[in-house]
Amino acid sequence: MACISGKEEVEGIIERVPGMKDEQEKIDLLLARNANEQLKNVDWNKLNVAISHRLDKVRQSKTSTKRFPTVFKIVAEISAVAVVVVIAVMIKLEKPTNLQLDEGRTAMVEFVKRKGLATVALIEPSDRAHVKVYIAGKDKKLAQCYVKMIDSDRSRKEDSTQAAWIIISRSERVYADNGTKRDMMDMLCLF
Amino acid sequence: MGKSQRAETSDTGQLVKASQAGDRGAFDELVLLYQRRAMKVAIWVLGDAEQAAEAVQEGFVKAYLSIGKLKEPKRFEIWLCRIVANAAIGQVRAAKRRAEKIKIVDHYRGKKTLSPVERQNAEDLKESIQQAMSKLSKKEAKAISLFGLEDLSHRQVAEIMGCSVKATRWHVFRARKKLKVLLREYLE
Repeated sequence: MACISGKEEVEGIIERVPGMKDEQEKIDLLLARNANEQLKNVDWNKLNVAISHRLDKVRQSKTSTKRFPTVFKIVAEISAVAVVVVIAVMIKLEKPTNLQLDEGRTAMVEFVKRKGLATVALIEPSDRAHVKVYIAGKDKKLAQCYVKMIDSDRSRKEDSTQAAWIIISRSERVYADNGTKRDMMDMLCLF
Repeated sequence: MGKSQRAETSDTGQLVKASQAGDRGAFDELVLLYQRRAMKVAIWVLGDAEQAAEAVQEGFVKAYLSIGKLKEPKRFEIWLCRIVANAAIGQVRAAKRRAEKIKIVDHYRGKKTLSPVERQNAEDLKESIQQAMSKLSKKEAKAISLFGLEDLSHRQVAEIMGCSVKATRWHVFRARKKLKVLLREYLE
């Protein structure tokens, strides 16, 4: 400790200065007298009981805090799952990917990132129709498809009429190997 | 180190290890073994048995909660003394703050005059020592209190203080110097 440099002389000074040691001893004796007087009054059993009582309290609270985290952990996990589900549902509403059709089949979505690049022409507007899809300039003629229309709660900008989801799906699932490894046969578009 | 002391140290080491492993009974035994030592430390710092008992309880609770951190089980005694001394110093500080709050009220009540006979009274001495100790720095109060414990070597005191023996002696010197002024009425 820097502030102590030279302080080792302290003991020497006490020895050299007349009467200093006596005074030091007097102080020590005074403190000792009081400490001994106080120690006489100590009820050691009572003290031990008091310490044990305090320790028991701590042990109890420690046990309950050990139990609580498990409950909190479960609640947190449930909440996290719920949040994930809600987010997933919201994302699904925003960008539908796999949509469960009434028949229990899944319609794959051709997700178009840029607006206006995809158009769908219903050649024979019926439940089972030939559909021609233009995506980013490449037309993909699909074979016979199921076409399902679901009204959405959105309005089109052009004529403020209500938009609708058009789900186009093939009766047989055909996986097109177009590099993206996606099923290109089922499509879902918002018009 | 005597035979009995060595046996006690090895017992302590085992009890500490058992406590660290979660044995409640082992810690209770440590309390029984060291409550007197802890009480002595606290009384020297606080000058009052009742307040010291509070500091000792606080000290044992702190020790119980952090016993897992004690790397050298054989050094439990030193470690406990440090915890109890700190708890006691904390109480001195708290008492000082409380005293400062009621200072104004006391001023209007007038100063209590005591006869020399009354001053000899143990209760008065206790109060004077408590007041005097509250005027010392943390280190000074700790050093003078631990030095007073005859069964603690200077090296052990230094270990509890967390500084060198020389530094500890310096703190004791400073504390005595202040106490000489603060308790002059009792020294005449």
